[in-house]
Amino acid sequence: MEKDIYILGIESSCDETAAAVVKNGREVLSNIISSQIVIHRKFGGVVPEIASRKHIENIMPVIDEALSEAKVTLDQIDAIAVTYGPGLVGALLVGLSAAKSLAWATDKPLIGVNHLEGHVFANFLADAELEPPFLALVVSGGHTALLKVTSYNSFELMGQTRDDAAGEAFDKIARVMGLPYPGGPEIERLAIGGNPNALVFPVAKLDAPYEFSFSGVKSAVINYLHKEEQGKREVNRSDVAASFQQAIINALCKETVAALKETGYKKVVLAGGVSANKTLQTELAKAAKKVGAELVHPTAILCTDNAVMIACRGYFMYKAGVRSPLDLNAVPSLKLG
Amino acid sequence: MLTLAIDTATKVCTIALARDGEILAEYNVNVGLTHSEGLLPQIKQLMERTGIDKKSIELLAVSMGPGSFTGLRIGLATAEAMAYSWQCMLHGVDTLKALAYNIPLEGVVLSPVLDAQKGNYYQAIYEWVDGALVEHEAVSVVSKDEMLAKAASYGKTCLLLGETKRLETMDLGVNVKLAPKSLRMPKASSVALLAEIEHTDEDKKIFGLEPYYIRRSEAEELWEKRQQK
Repeated sequence: MEKDIYILGIESSCDETAAAVVKNGREVLSNIISSQIVIHRKFGGVVPEIASRKHIENIMPVIDEALSEAKVTLDQIDAIAVTYGPGLVGALLVGLSAAKSLAWATDKPLIGVNHLEGHVFANFLADAELEPPFLALVVSGGHTALLKVTSYNSFELMGQTRDDAAGEAFDKIARVMGLPYPGGPEIERLAIGGNPNALVFPVAKLDAPYEFSFSGVKSAVINYLHKEEQGKREVNRSDVAASFQQAIINALCKETVAALKETGYKKVVLAGGVSANKTLQTELAKAAKKVGAELVHPTAILCTDNAVMIACRGYFMYKAGVRSPLDLNAVPSLKLG
Repeated sequence: MLTLAIDTATKVCTIALARDGEILAEYNVNVGLTHSEGLLPQIKQLMERTGIDKKSIELLAVSMGPGSFTGLRIGLATAEAMAYSWQCMLHGVDTLKALAYNIPLEGVVLSPVLDAQKGNYYQAIYEWVDGALVEHEAVSVVSKDEMLAKAASYGKTCLLLGETKRLETMDLGVNVKLAPKSLRMPKASSVALLAEIEHTDEDKKIFGLEPYYIRRSEAEELWEKRQQK
């Protein structure tokens, strides 16, 4: 029998300080997340310097908790996987510095992980049978992209957003509507009970396949709200939220279905913060089913930033012999594919 | 006591190894490379060169600020993770006080200064009296003119050290002089020696240290201003 592999994952790219231990890439032994959402709320978004200050306060306690909850000693860990991008540079550097130091101090391999690949790999923990090749729809505050996962360690970008990411559009509309940060879940909550067909917010049609553009639909919603305000007309906020959400989801579903047809893949996975959106999960599952494909999405806790997905991604890199040098730097705008 | 010291508060990346008040090795790099890329390889090289087993280190000494926020966090995260791995002590040292340790000389006042952005300096004033370092003024954020006035106010020669690049071509006044270049920049050997003296049993707790930021984040300052309006 093969020896068990324990990976310690570390994540600090935005406003969550997280550490986790994952066994053999698929078994979660611990998942510790220290969230800063409440701290950033009064600023209406993540303040990079404040995020970094919270990370340095929490990083070692979170790592310690991840090990003790997993009932694994640092000695038993086979490799240390850490997010090195994309993200806020000051925030990334806290987790990365701790990870590099742990790796050198204990003579263990260091594995730098792309945060976005991590999000995709969160799906391996949701579906024990998931195996490449499959399609991934990455939707977060910073990214909206369709990705072919052709093997455990190779990815091919099919298309992405030309302007705003889906999550960014959610956050901006939420802000205009006076909803607290983070805006995505707030819009989703407001949309419950709203009529998604009440208003039409057009999403730009692009000539290139598998690409997205959300700045137009965002402006359409903002313009509508301003016009109604000027005309002193009452707006049905639930209808606005539901119709806006529907416009985004329609665009995501349309391109994903086209990509499924093109690739012939039988599975599509959702990845990134917006994958927590229940309406998106339901509609995308329906759309995929129509073309004979199945949707996989992470459990709620693994949709948002976490270190389990980093450890999982790190495991497959470890198996492939990938190792990072001690001079690994943070790459704030690290790309997918 | 075997001590490894790290100072990444400024653009100098300096590390040192000391044992019971003796400096065993020191490695300073001042070429503006990022600490993120340089620090770990530099520590690895220093340990390999001395031939000392890293796991025999008993005390991690780290420069806590004031200084570059990001630099301070890189140093602290690195030191914390080592102290955690080896279950040894971790002691944070005041960056300005460590600079004063570069020049253990009586009869002059010492004023370490570091860049506080927007033309301001972090400044403190120390003096060696009967073999001990006395703090005349705790750290504050001052303009260049305020800094020079404070330095001149003790009626004896004041040596400026730290980030003094912008002062090299300026008229500093009668009593105020720049310390020699080799002693002006942060030296981890001073951080190590100071930590060996200062450390207590409290330093076995390696969690919860916070850099001495002195200044809050700009977002917080702006937010407070808006609330007062």
